[in-house]
Amino acid sequence: MANQSIPDTPLFDRNGSIRGYRINKMAMSLGQAANREAFKADEEAYLDRFGLTEEEKKAVMSRDWHEMVRLGGNLFFILKISAIDPTPITRIGAAQAGMSHEDFLYHRLGKRAAHG
Amino acid sequence: MAKIIGGLGTSHVPSIGVALDKGLCDTPDWKPFFDGYEAGKEWVREAKPDIAVVVFNDHGNTFFLDRVPTFAVGVADSYNPADEGWGPRAIPPFEGATEFAWHFVDKLVERHFDPLVCREIEVDHGMQVPMELFFGRPEKWPVKVVPIWVNTIQYPIPTPQRCWDMGKVLREAIESWPTDERVVILGTGGLSHQLQGARAGFINQDADRAWLDGIAANPEHYRNMTREDYVEQFGSEGAELIMWLVMRAAMNEKVDLVHKHYYAPASMTGAGMVVLENAA
Repeated sequence: MANQSIPDTPLFDRNGSIRGYRINKMAMSLGQAANREAFKADEEAYLDRFGLTEEEKKAVMSRDWHEMVRLGGNLFFILKISAIDPTPITRIGAAQAGMSHEDFLYHRLGKRAAHG
Repeated sequence: MAKIIGGLGTSHVPSIGVALDKGLCDTPDWKPFFDGYEAGKEWVREAKPDIAVVVFNDHGNTFFLDRVPTFAVGVADSYNPADEGWGPRAIPPFEGATEFAWHFVDKLVERHFDPLVCREIEVDHGMQVPMELFFGRPEKWPVKVVPIWVNTIQYPIPTPQRCWDMGKVLREAIESWPTDERVVILGTGGLSHQLQGARAGFINQDADRAWLDGIAANPEHYRNMTREDYVEQFGSEGAELIMWLVMRAAMNEKVDLVHKHYYAPASMTGAGMVVLENAA
C-alpha cells in the first residue's frame, strides 16, 4: 500500500516504522513502572539511553505530538508518554488536526455540548 | 462437536476501560454508550458460552516493532492484563482454552496459515474491553478464552480476504472439536476513527451505521473492499474493522442481527456493537 494515498492520513508503513524506531522503543519501555519512574526523574537522561536525536528529544520533551508523529512516532506507542503527564488523547488529536481542543471535540468529533 | 452459538462485534476503545475503572458509566458522556450494551450482556448471560474466541489487535503493548506477527494465536494457560502505561488494571486474568487453541493452531497450519503461537503473553485493552462489555466485571471470567491477534498497526496489514479465510478455518476448527463446548466469537475494533495525521478525529457515522447492518446482511461487500477503502471510509485506525470479518466468516452465510448499538463519539471513535446468531 502506498503511503499518502488518502489526504492527511499517514499510514504507519516501513518508512515510519524505521524512522520512528527510537522514539517508539523508548515509549514502549514506559509500559513498565520502574521505567516510568526513571523517565520522570530525569527525562533527558532517559531519552539519551534510547539514543534519541536532538530533534526527537525536543519533540518528546516539549510534548509536540504533531512533531513526534512526523518523526515516525506511532500514536499507540507515544500514548505511553501521554499517560505519564497525563494528556488526554483528544488533545493529541487536536494538536494533529491543528485545531483548538474545543473545536476538535465539538466540530471534528461531533461531541454534543454538555447540559447546564 | 463444539458449537458456534453466536458472533459478537464490538469496538474496543481504551477509554471504555478508563470509564469503567473510574466509575464514569453513568455520566452524560458515557451512559448512552453503556446502556446500549445491556442487551448484548443479557444475550451472553442467556447463551452461556464456554469458550470466547477474541479477535483483536495489540496496540503497542505486547508486540513491539522488533517482531510483528501478522496473525498470532494464544495457547497459554492464562493471560494477564497488560500495563499500558497507567499501571495494571484491576481485572481478573483470563483462563486460556488451551486444548482447543492448539487444535485451532493445527487446523490453521493444515489450511496453510502460519500463525505465531504464543504460550506466555499479556493482553491489552483490545481484548479486555470487549470482555468487560459483554461479561461485565466478574471476580472470575465465566469463559475460557482464545486470543487471536491481528496486526493492524504496521503496514502491510493483512487483507480483508485473509481475515475472512481465517474465519473459515476457525469455523472448521470449532466444528471438528470433539466436545460439547459452546463457543462465542468476538470480532473487535473500530468503528470509524483516526488518531494520526491532520484528518485525526475523522468519524464517519453513515459508514458506521451501514457497517452494523451490512456485516450481518451483506458481508461480501466488506470482504471485497480493499485496505485503502477501509482507511478512506473508516479512518486509518478504523481499518481495524477487518477483524470483524474473522468472526463473520465463521458464521453461516445467513445470520440474524439480534442486537445492534451505535454511539459516537466514544472518546475519538464511532463505537458500535452487534450480536449475530446463525440462521438456517
